[in-house]
Amino acid sequence: MTTDPNSKPKDEFYIGYAQKIPPGIRNFLLVLVPGLIALVGILGFWLPSVHNQYSPGALDRTQDFQGVLMAQPVPHLAVPRQGNTREGGAYSRYLLSAFNKAAFDPKALKELSGQWVNLKGLPVYRDHYTLLASAGATAADLPANAPMAPPEGKSLGEFDLSGQIEDSKCYLGVMKPGESATHRNCAIRCISGGVPASLVVQNTAGDRMYFALVGRDGQAINNQILPKVGSPVNVKGEVMQYDDLYVLKANPEEFKL
Amino acid sequence: MSVNYEPVLWNRQKVIYDVVLVGSVVLYLLLFMHFADSIGGSLGVSNLDVRGIRIRAFGSAGFILLHVILSIGPLSRLNRKFLPLLYNRRHMGVTMFTLALWHAHLATGWYHDFGNIEVPLVSLLVSNVSFFTVFRFPFEILGFAALCILMLMAVTSHDFWLANLTAPIWKGLHMLVYAAYALLVGHVVLGALQTNRHLALILVVAVGMVWIVAIHVLSALKEAKQDQAIAIPDQAEFVEVGLVDEIPNNQAKIVCLSGERVAIFKYDGKVSAVSNVCQHQNGPLGEGQIIDGCITCPWHGYQYRPEDGASPPPFIEKIPTFAVKLEGDRIFINPIPNRPGTPVEPAVIA
Repeated sequence: MTTDPNSKPKDEFYIGYAQKIPPGIRNFLLVLVPGLIALVGILGFWLPSVHNQYSPGALDRTQDFQGVLMAQPVPHLAVPRQGNTREGGAYSRYLLSAFNKAAFDPKALKELSGQWVNLKGLPVYRDHYTLLASAGATAADLPANAPMAPPEGKSLGEFDLSGQIEDSKCYLGVMKPGESATHRNCAIRCISGGVPASLVVQNTAGDRMYFALVGRDGQAINNQILPKVGSPVNVKGEVMQYDDLYVLKANPEEFKL
Repeated sequence: MSVNYEPVLWNRQKVIYDVVLVGSVVLYLLLFMHFADSIGGSLGVSNLDVRGIRIRAFGSAGFILLHVILSIGPLSRLNRKFLPLLYNRRHMGVTMFTLALWHAHLATGWYHDFGNIEVPLVSLLVSNVSFFTVFRFPFEILGFAALCILMLMAVTSHDFWLANLTAPIWKGLHMLVYAAYALLVGHVVLGALQTNRHLALILVVAVGMVWIVAIHVLSALKEAKQDQAIAIPDQAEFVEVGLVDEIPNNQAKIVCLSGERVAIFKYDGKVSAVSNVCQHQNGPLGEGQIIDGCITCPWHGYQYRPEDGASPPPFIEKIPTFAVKLEGDRIFINPIPNRPGTPVEPAVIA
């Protein structure tokens, strides 16, 4: 027998309620804990740079607008452009929605469509594409120097486009990135609530084009495209141009994921 | 150890533990939000999505902390110097749940408030119903399920529940953390990594998964090596389990008899055998030591007398004991356990 009944264990033993930490374990912790804190610091510094949480989209302050309220093909406000209006049309077309995840005031659209209105709206914009979030509009007198009525859309032909369907408010600047999987549920709620849906098409250089989506008959198709929101999709349809606004008329059953 | 149930039995080490824990979490959140803000400024982003940044900060903090929590167990088995991290691991768990809850609260409000479904949680559950796809799968539901598990664990984390549910049930319940981890990996892979396919982010998540799996496999292999079962001959009352010299003084050797781990302690010129399973959280008593004459669990310091497996008064925990005898240097154990707390005469080393 080679045992020493009175010998102490060789291994240090940590007891959480003991007054002292064994020196070997304490020294180990004095290296481990600062190391973990340093790792926390590195991750806190580095992870924001690899997260996709920035976009060129923006919000502006709420402003007063005057223009022609248009219910078709998508609810929008046609605002006369200043300066050279030969390029891009005589009007800027701003999509419309409510402040929440809902359509622009249906009563105003029904009663004032085609008329001059005053509208207080929050511009949300990305690239050249703008949506005004607004609580409603009131009838306005025809301005003295009012241009001719906004022109009807002209067909640019049939196109085969690949992109992603997003709601035209969050993606443009309310949320960032406001696209793809993490934003899908929000986009579904917005679009089902009546916020205009847009197909965002991007070329290899990163340039984006925006197409407001309607059915072949020009009617809203928001509820029919919900299962395809926020995912890559291919759409064939007729592109209509309304000044600086492009509208894609397509059959929602032919949208391909 | 405690006799009464109190919210937290503070001591100096526990205070230091919690200060470091909370300080690290706050540091991470502040750094994340500060650098997200400054990067946005350097990119010329005019409107930062502050709510979105907070959602990512809290979510990533919780996910990182879960990796730390899941690492502590196996690391402690591989190197006992990690045991101080295990001591108050439940504080980390509750902190992690709090981060996850706040992430969920922010995300549900930001993405589901003000819609045409009045209750945001209902909106979260019914908006995307593409359950039979992979990349369109509603990843939010995975996060919600994980949060439910984490909540169950957080609310039952106190010793009150441990004592009333009994350690095996409590332990089984808290092993669901692995289900929560799997759900959260799915939540991250089908959510954040779909929106943001940054190679570095994908690699970080992958390295985290490989790390968690690898250290669990390594610790399992180490444990399996210790668990080499000793065959019990038919009709044998006592089974030879090793030699006295194999056991360091005031420590134990663990053997596996009929599928049950037995800890054989050598102390004060005697040998006693008890169940290896601590009654508190089923910690491995055989990896503990004899301190102040008591077997002391390496996980939380619960103590049992080696002679009868009972905690010293006023504590009431008891573990099964085993009859033990020596023949020269050879140790023999009766593989049939005695009822918890049954006194057994220690075998005296000649």
